[in-house]
Amino acid sequence: MLSFVVVARTDVAAEMIVSPAKIVLDSPEASQQLLVSVVTETGRLDVTGEVQLTVADKTVAAVSGGALVRPRSEGQTEIAVKLGNETVRVPVEVVKQRHPDPVSFRNEIIPILTKARCNSGGCHGKAEGQNGFKLSIFGFDAASDYTALMKDGKGRRISLTQPETSLLLLKGTSQRPHGGGRKIDTGSYRYNRVLRWIREGARLDPENSEAGQIVSIEVEPREQILLAGGTQQLRVTAVDRSGTRRCVTVEAEYESNAVAIADVDPRGQIQASDIPGEAAILVRYLGHVTSCRVTLPRPGVTFERPTETNFIDKLVWDQLGRLGIKAGVPASESEFLRRVYLDTIGTLPTSSEARKYLADDSPNKRDRLIDELLSRDEYVDYWTMKWLDILRADQLIVTPQGTVAMQRWLRHSFQQNVSFDQMARELLTVQGSTTAEGPGAFYKILKKPDEMSRAVSQLLLGVRIECAQCHHHPSERWSQEDYTALAGFFTGVKLKKLPNGTEAIVSLGGKDLPHPRTGEPVAARALGAAAVDVSNLSDRRVALADWLTQPDNEFFSKAIANRIWAHYLGRGLVEPVDDIRETNPATNEPLMKALSRHMVDVQFDMRAFTRTLLKSSVYQLSSASSDSNRDDQQNFSHAAYKAIPAEALLDAISQATGVAEKFNGWPHGYRAIQIWDNRMPSYFFSIFGRPVRATVCECERSGEPSISQALHLLNSPEIMQKIQHREGTARRLANSKLTNDEIIDELYLTTLSRFPNDDERGLMHEAFVGPEASRREAVEDVLWALLNTKEFIFNH
Amino acid sequence: MLRLELGKPSVGNCDGFDRRHALRLGATGLLGGLSLPTLLELQAKAGSGREIKAKSCVFLFLEGGPPHQDMWDPKPEAPLEIRGPFMPIATNVPGTFITDQLPHCAKIADKYTILRSHSHRDNGHSTGYHYVMTGRRANFADGDNPIPNNDYFPSIGSVVARELGQNRTLPPYINLPHPMQGGGPGFYGAEYAPFVIESDPTQPDFEVRDLQPISGLSSQRVSTRRKLLAGIERLERGRAEGRAGIMSTYYEKAQSLITSPEAKKAFDIHAEPDEVRDRYGRTQIGQCALLARRLVEGGCRFVGVDAPGWDVHFNCFPSLQTDLIPYADRAFSALVLDLEERGLLDETLVVMMGEMGRTPRVNAQAGRDHWSMAQTVIFAGGGVKPGQVIGVTDKHATAPTTEPVSVNDLLRTIHTLMGIDPDRTYLGPLGRPVPLVDGGKFIDALV
Repeated sequence: MLSFVVVARTDVAAEMIVSPAKIVLDSPEASQQLLVSVVTETGRLDVTGEVQLTVADKTVAAVSGGALVRPRSEGQTEIAVKLGNETVRVPVEVVKQRHPDPVSFRNEIIPILTKARCNSGGCHGKAEGQNGFKLSIFGFDAASDYTALMKDGKGRRISLTQPETSLLLLKGTSQRPHGGGRKIDTGSYRYNRVLRWIREGARLDPENSEAGQIVSIEVEPREQILLAGGTQQLRVTAVDRSGTRRCVTVEAEYESNAVAIADVDPRGQIQASDIPGEAAILVRYLGHVTSCRVTLPRPGVTFERPTETNFIDKLVWDQLGRLGIKAGVPASESEFLRRVYLDTIGTLPTSSEARKYLADDSPNKRDRLIDELLSRDEYVDYWTMKWLDILRADQLIVTPQGTVAMQRWLRHSFQQNVSFDQMARELLTVQGSTTAEGPGAFYKILKKPDEMSRAVSQLLLGVRIECAQCHHHPSERWSQEDYTALAGFFTGVKLKKLPNGTEAIVSLGGKDLPHPRTGEPVAARALGAAAVDVSNLSDRRVALADWLTQPDNEFFSKAIANRIWAHYLGRGLVEPVDDIRETNPATNEPLMKALSRHMVDVQFDMRAFTRTLLKSSVYQLSSASSDSNRDDQQNFSHAAYKAIPAEALLDAISQATGVAEKFNGWPHGYRAIQIWDNRMPSYFFSIFGRPVRATVCECERSGEPSISQALHLLNSPEIMQKIQHREGTARRLANSKLTNDEIIDELYLTTLSRFPNDDERGLMHEAFVGPEASRREAVEDVLWALLNTKEFIFNH
Repeated sequence: MLRLELGKPSVGNCDGFDRRHALRLGATGLLGGLSLPTLLELQAKAGSGREIKAKSCVFLFLEGGPPHQDMWDPKPEAPLEIRGPFMPIATNVPGTFITDQLPHCAKIADKYTILRSHSHRDNGHSTGYHYVMTGRRANFADGDNPIPNNDYFPSIGSVVARELGQNRTLPPYINLPHPMQGGGPGFYGAEYAPFVIESDPTQPDFEVRDLQPISGLSSQRVSTRRKLLAGIERLERGRAEGRAGIMSTYYEKAQSLITSPEAKKAFDIHAEPDEVRDRYGRTQIGQCALLARRLVEGGCRFVGVDAPGWDVHFNCFPSLQTDLIPYADRAFSALVLDLEERGLLDETLVVMMGEMGRTPRVNAQAGRDHWSMAQTVIFAGGGVKPGQVIGVTDKHATAPTTEPVSVNDLLRTIHTLMGIDPDRTYLGPLGRPVPLVDGGKFIDALV
């Protein structure tokens, strides 16, 4: 048993750690963030906001709120940092105040425009600019921003003769009416730096000027454990090509991926809430991104480690122990039964399947059930449907024949348990008719090379690169060049008309695409990889497929592992499932890595991978929560309530009522999860969120509840007809010799895969009493009530 | 509720925080420990000096493309093949003329504003519908598209539903009598889809889908069912987490929608006196407009009325004269007067338009064809300054000669009038932030 207790904040007697040890301020607008911490039993504790700071010579430097040191004049001094009885002295050297290095537009002005949000998407950064003034979004294109400032707007924006009257400053400080309000304070470092830049002649440093070009940024701390309500000041340092380091804490931008757990202010101070969990604080500066990971444990919790079946359990329990969140209790047999059916085959267990399973007392029955389900036809149906959605098999665009061709290919692949890397390779390199069995129709939807590459990227790599089409990705390292390079693999793809009127995918040759800004050709290369020689390949996509499916390509194995995990556990380790990036870390990184490795170890055998998931104690936890873990949505302390996909829910209702849904034009008895026609009109599907297959995003399938859903289940003639049907479950039971008790049992097993408890039986009996109650009506009413339980509507 | 997210970078407008938060702040007064000057500053930002009046919007969509020159923008000096057979008449606003087909509206021109300079470049029906409802050009070809056809971008009704939320019993976004073609929720998902009536309010057996008590259920059974459901709710109390918890609240809302007098009243068009029903006209647009008023009274935020039939390519004047224009004339004027009498006009924005106008020249089949270069849009209530004519078209009503008003100008204006920040963004499924409105300018002349 692992015990984990967080010590309260008061017993600070430990040594104070102050950084940096020495401060050099080398321009009039420079600043340096001091960080002060103490080490306690549980780790470092930030006390930056609590120390007393005194500058020896106030004419040389000053220190402002949040322990930020700024220069006043050239010279040397020191700062006394005092906490309790302890004092640490930090020497300060201030240089280059009288003759500073000229301001760099690229490295020093653009970040100001970004931090003040001048170039954000809601303001001057949007495609058409704002009130005639257009900047590149997030300042990715310094040259065009320079032109916008200097030349557009009749040159009023910058006045070299009277710098203070430059419109940029007058508007930015709101001295002249400005729709965006005051963005820069007069006399602030931002104001002073812009003013100095104008005074120096408002020059644009050449694009490839080596000096000062930022090559990376670092954030401190990278990881931090915080107590409820605790704070942590961040420090961000930019490193340039020459290795010079500059504190940019006040210039960087900050964003939390889990505001409910920990938020961050524009000065880089993290504020923890009282909800235990983990958050990542994204830090962005001049196109570079990094993040700080914050952990908020629940104090005073003794973690009891449940049993471990495999590595998944170990890593989840580790995390829960670290956070002080209790693990839930194991799921009951009926809970497990219903869940594993719905998750794996999108189908409810029938009452006889439920009876048989519940009566079985062999010790390995869960494992046997898992194996049995993975080899059922419905497994193939269900996973085919899921992949038709994300492969965008929209019959309006790819034609019904194309959709059927894709469905057959998917069915075949899942039936034969084709490994996922093989499926991906087939998807990537398909050629030939779009109506022959295969994934060719996928390319019918995607008209241009870059549309193909970004769909493939989101789908197979979990990397959303659409942002990089028009500008540097705001929260990723991907640039327009990366975007163009990836699209280069698809330049040979053509849709060819065949004599019989159908179409075929051909991929032959291709060319490197021009960079959208410079026009220079960009050699085809995969994300983060070196350029490959495609000159002797007839189909360039083969090179991409080779790279993609290498076992050490973490993008690929992570993306599919996360996708399958999200399906079964109700939430991806990374969310959204297809947005994997450094700045959006998994909620349990060790587990994400282990799953990704496991996917490689089982050689992308999806059934084997799924088996591992389903056998874990984590998957087999109950959805019941306790005070300790009720708020936990991301650490898998208990099972989630998952929406049942529209098709599976309709099938479940049909099965429970014993009345198959009639789908116009389909043979009787076809189930919704078997139907490829995503445009088949259906009110039920539209309100329960069937995806339209307009994007490759799984998020299209909306699982959010709505009032229309509740109304439909409660009160629609369609559901009523099923319940009252002459040949339906209710009528059959009412006409049978079963006792009322037996009927109630049977209805519970049919809908909820379990027997009722005494309270429930008692409640349902009320339907059978009453002065004018008929048995048929009573059975209908009980069935109706059960179909309207959350226990039925959700998968839990 | 006090919510301060000043300086939060991911959402909000240029100022770094959005106006609705500021409005909420205003509502909580000084409890949050804000100093009075700060509060005043926030309020000033929230309103941009403008008070938000519109709580609801009735959007009358004349599907097919209403002929602006035969209704709101007469050109009596133009040759017959341009001006058509209808004559201008004076309205009760001196100097404002509309055609003689709109006699009811002519009497109350001081209560609405005519905007004659709307113009865009999408000449298709389904693509134009998509454009008007979402502010984004369709990525599909015009033709027989599925409904709704806005797979990606949310419609204005879904945006309003998301931003303003449910107010009292009724769903926040309703379509009458059919789903609007461009009226879907797009990537916002089914949660923000319109509640669709799918029933014709002119019919004597008009009733609303899934709202009527199931036929054949005795009151005994209804009460049994209610008892079972309440019992289950009690036994399921442990299942109040996440989606299941949300579903519980929707169940409550659904039940109250089925049973509450307020909802029943809102949909019960039969409760209207005959005289009122006649005043709106016993037509689909008339009864939908009347129902829209009842829904607004019940708290619905955005009622979209789909009024089809305006695609008059052939022999258009008889049907314009006998059916289309008189029906719209009655419905619109009755709605505006009725809202005014009930003191609701100020808080209800009424907009009437289609996806386009129609060609200046009458064609060889005596009809008019698609013409998106000019359309007239009518605004009433919701804080709009009435009695105005905004914009001028050229002598043949071909195109605006004043600054053209775009689709996104209209959408931005409607959002702003309803107190919604048009620059607010949500992340789309491909990871890019999607603003509520894609650019556009507020139409200053309207207020």
